[in-house]
Amino acid sequence: MRDTHFLLGLLLLFAAVNIGLVASGILVADWTGLGIIVAAGMTLALYSFLYKDNPLFKFAEHVFVGVAAAYMFGQYWYPTLYGELIAEWTDLGEGETPNWWLLAPTVLGLLMLTRFSLRFGWLSRYAFAFFVGLGAGLTIPRYISSFILAQIEPTLQPLTWSLEGLNWLIVLVGVIGVLVYFFFSVEHTGAAGHISKVGIWFLMISFGASFGYTIMARVSLLIGRVTFLLEDWLHLM
Amino acid sequence: MHKLLAIDRRIIFTLVFISVAGPLLAGISLPITPTKEVKAAYNQFEKLDAGDIVLVSFAYGASTQPEMQPMARAMLRHAFRRDLKVVAICLWPEAPGLAQQVLEEMAAEFDLEYGVDYAFMGYKPGTFSVILNMGQDFRSAFPQDQWGTDTGDLDLTRGLRSLRDFDLVLDLAAGDSIEFWWIPYGQEKYGFPFVAGCTAVMAPDLYPFLDSGQLGGLLGGLAGAAEYETLIDNRGSASMGMSAQSMAHLVIAVFVVIGNIAYFVARRTSSEQKS
Repeated sequence: MRDTHFLLGLLLLFAAVNIGLVASGILVADWTGLGIIVAAGMTLALYSFLYKDNPLFKFAEHVFVGVAAAYMFGQYWYPTLYGELIAEWTDLGEGETPNWWLLAPTVLGLLMLTRFSLRFGWLSRYAFAFFVGLGAGLTIPRYISSFILAQIEPTLQPLTWSLEGLNWLIVLVGVIGVLVYFFFSVEHTGAAGHISKVGIWFLMISFGASFGYTIMARVSLLIGRVTFLLEDWLHLM
Repeated sequence: MHKLLAIDRRIIFTLVFISVAGPLLAGISLPITPTKEVKAAYNQFEKLDAGDIVLVSFAYGASTQPEMQPMARAMLRHAFRRDLKVVAICLWPEAPGLAQQVLEEMAAEFDLEYGVDYAFMGYKPGTFSVILNMGQDFRSAFPQDQWGTDTGDLDLTRGLRSLRDFDLVLDLAAGDSIEFWWIPYGQEKYGFPFVAGCTAVMAPDLYPFLDSGQLGGLLGGLAGAAEYETLIDNRGSASMGMSAQSMAHLVIAVFVVIGNIAYFVARRTSSEQKS
């Protein structure tokens, strides 16, 4: 009950603030102003989850999912499905012929949808077989070249008595340590155990760096929303 | 100490919020020193001559806008200051609205002519296959621009045949497009100079590509954008946010230290009580 009153109070406060902003001319009563008010309301509703799960948060979450899905459908439909496929047949100019090759990916795409049918679901295997084969054929050589061969060179740089040389040594020790750690065919005892422990240390440090960067990213997103609330909505900055 | 370990998380949220809002309201600004990888990205633009063409790929959405949009603004501002031509594409369905916003801001600021100084080709689904397609035939990948004008009718895109025709490629990404699409299927195959801007979460995974030369420069998160703003001497929203970022990091670090001290003291106390 207390939470209900608290949320109702927040809604009233939000309405009062917006009326005040519009009445004082800080926010203009046009579509842009309405957009800012809606965005501010949605931001506050989503952050209200930090207090407790509540109907305002759920409402904002559902609106976001619906709007995002519709926006993405629009992006797929108009420029691609309609613009490059359907229009190819319906909007033909005089003397133009449709691109018949487009039928092949269209049929493969439609076969994917047969998975929804128990009777015709087997047809989707042909489309999946094509995509798996194509994907593997394209990916394997490119990944070997980009992620293994191209990465070996900077890993095996000549070691020198300099800061750069120390850097390369650390990279080399880290790569060998982590590779040994993930080599499970040998028991991790003796020399292999010591080296794999070095690998664990490198992994821990890299996880720490990733976690630090993740915090930075999340704080940046908070800064973005707080800046929007203080600058665009309340005009306090 | 047990009380400290059971502190209400809402107190921490409130303190983090204050640490972010406080510096923003007070307008505190801290010095920003550009890092080596951001300077490298900047230098890639500096190497180009007026009239050179840069392909900018937008691959981020609204959820990462606070990190990515300042980056896009800073890098495009640098490009247009140097009279470079920009062709923008989107490989994420959420990106076109954000890309259009930045391009229109730049067009107004630099008095750019559409189709001559910049072109916006819109979104194309297909992830890495779009990159392969652009490598073979740019106009087959993007036969029309965002507004339905034929690619051959725009001065800027008329002569473009392949990815090799671009003097620099920039990918602004919030997903895996840098290392899993552009590097293996674009940069490695066609050998163009390649720089990237990404969210802070992705940055650690991309450092190996700097050492190998597959990436010519990298901007990681809001900090990367702020460093780039410093290099082009234009303090924007990223630079403004860095004081809030530093203060929030300080608060989080203090809580991490306090939490660890409290944990070890509580563990020691309970083991002493048991014995």
